[in-house]
Amino acid sequence: MGTNFESKYLMNKFFTKKLSIISFIFIPIIFLWHPNWLGFLGVQPYWPLFWLLPWAMINGSINGLVFGLFLGLILDSLTLNESFTQIPGLIFCGFFFGRIKSHNDILVGHFRYGLICSFGSFLCGTLYLAQILFRNFSDGNFLMFIPGVKNILAEVFLTGLFAPFICSQLVRMFKFSRRKLW
Amino acid sequence: MLGIRRISNSRWWHKKKNWLFFAIFLFLVFVRISKGAFYKDFYYFISKPFWPGQFQKEIVLESIDQEYLIKLNLLTKDNIRLRQILSLQESSNNEHISAAVISRKTGGWWRQIILNKGSKDGVEIGNIVIGPGGLLGRVKNTSLFTSSVTLITSPESKLGVWVDRIQINGLLVGLGDDYPSLILYSKDADIKVGDFVSSSPASTLLPPNIPIGIVQSIDETLKSKKTAKISLLAKPHVIDWVQILKVNI
Repeated sequence: MGTNFESKYLMNKFFTKKLSIISFIFIPIIFLWHPNWLGFLGVQPYWPLFWLLPWAMINGSINGLVFGLFLGLILDSLTLNESFTQIPGLIFCGFFFGRIKSHNDILVGHFRYGLICSFGSFLCGTLYLAQILFRNFSDGNFLMFIPGVKNILAEVFLTGLFAPFICSQLVRMFKFSRRKLW
Repeated sequence: MLGIRRISNSRWWHKKKNWLFFAIFLFLVFVRISKGAFYKDFYYFISKPFWPGQFQKEIVLESIDQEYLIKLNLLTKDNIRLRQILSLQESSNNEHISAAVISRKTGGWWRQIILNKGSKDGVEIGNIVIGPGGLLGRVKNTSLFTSSVTLITSPESKLGVWVDRIQINGLLVGLGDDYPSLILYSKDADIKVGDFVSSSPASTLLPPNIPIGIVQSIDETLKSKKTAKISLLAKPHVIDWVQILKVNI
C-alpha cells in the first residue's frame, strides 16, 4: 500500500515537473494533424510559436533560442521541403520572446500574447518566403511566388487570434510546473 | 328569269362540297410542302405517354458504359503495345497500392499528405500518387509504416507536363497555393482556357498520360514564355483514399 502510494506520488511529481517537455512533444503532432476546420483560406496557425512564447518568456532568451532550434529541426524533418527551413525564424523568435517579460495586467497580457505571436508568425513566414524567392531567383520564376504573401497574412491572423487563449494557459501550466512541490 | 337563276345555281363554286374538297386539297399541299411536319408534331404529342421509360434509358447507358470500357481497354492495350514497339517509357499497370490519407497539410507553405502505407508495403521513394481525378504528387519519403507525399501544389514541386491540344511540353511549378503554374517556354504557344494538361511523355519523373488539370487562366506573356494557372482535377484537401503507382521509368 505504501509503495503504491509512493510510486503514484512520484509519477504525479514527474508529470507536473515535466509538463513543459511533455507539451513540447505534442507540437509536431498538432503540426501534422492540421485540422481543416480550424484553418482560414486553407492555412493553419503557426503552432510552434504557441509553445515557444511561454517557454522563452519563463526560461529566458538562451533557452528560447535553443528550443527554437530544436523545434525547427523537428518540424523540418516532418515537412518535405528540403530546400527551405523553418530554423532561422524559430531561433530568432525564441531569442526575441525571451526578452519579453509578462505584463501585470492580465487583460493587456492576453492581447500582448496575440500581438507578439502575430509578429513572430509574420517573421517566420517572411523568412520562409524569402528562401523560396531566393531559391527560384535564378530561374526567373520568383515573381510567381509573390501571391504566397496571402499564406503569411492568413497565418498571422490565425496565430494572433488563438495565441491569447493558448499561450496564457501554457504560461500558467509552465509556472505551475516550476513551483516547488515540497 | 327563273331559268337564268337555275343556271347560275349550277356553277361549281356555288357548291359547299367543292369548297370542302378544295380545302382538303390545300391542306394536303401544305402537308406535302412541310414534309409532314404537322403529322410528326402531332405524333410527338400522342405518342408521349408511350415513350421508352427510365428503365430503358438505364439499360442503354449501361451498354454505352460497357462499350466505352471495352474500347478503353483495347486502346490501353494498343497503347502499351505501340509504346513497347517504339521503346517509349511506360508504367507498370498492375502495381497499385491503395492507401488512406492519415495526415494532410494542404494549405500554407507545406503541402504534403502522409499515407498509411510505407516501405513495409513496398512503397518506394519516387512512386506516383494518384487520387480520383488524377495526379496528386510523388512519394518523397518513406518510413516503415508511412509514406510522405509532396503534392504538386508544393513550392518544391516541378514536373514536366503535356498540353495535348497544342502538343507542347511545359513545366508545372507549385506555388504554395491551390493553383500551380504552367510555364510554356514559347511565347507563341496557342494555349487556351480549358486546355487539358497531363503528365508529359518526355518526363523522367512521371509515367505518361496521367491527367493533372485544366487551364484556368492565362497570365501575361513574359519575354520568352507563357504562364497559366492550372485547376487540378484531383482535390487533395478532400481525398481520403489514394493509389500509389509504382513506376518503372
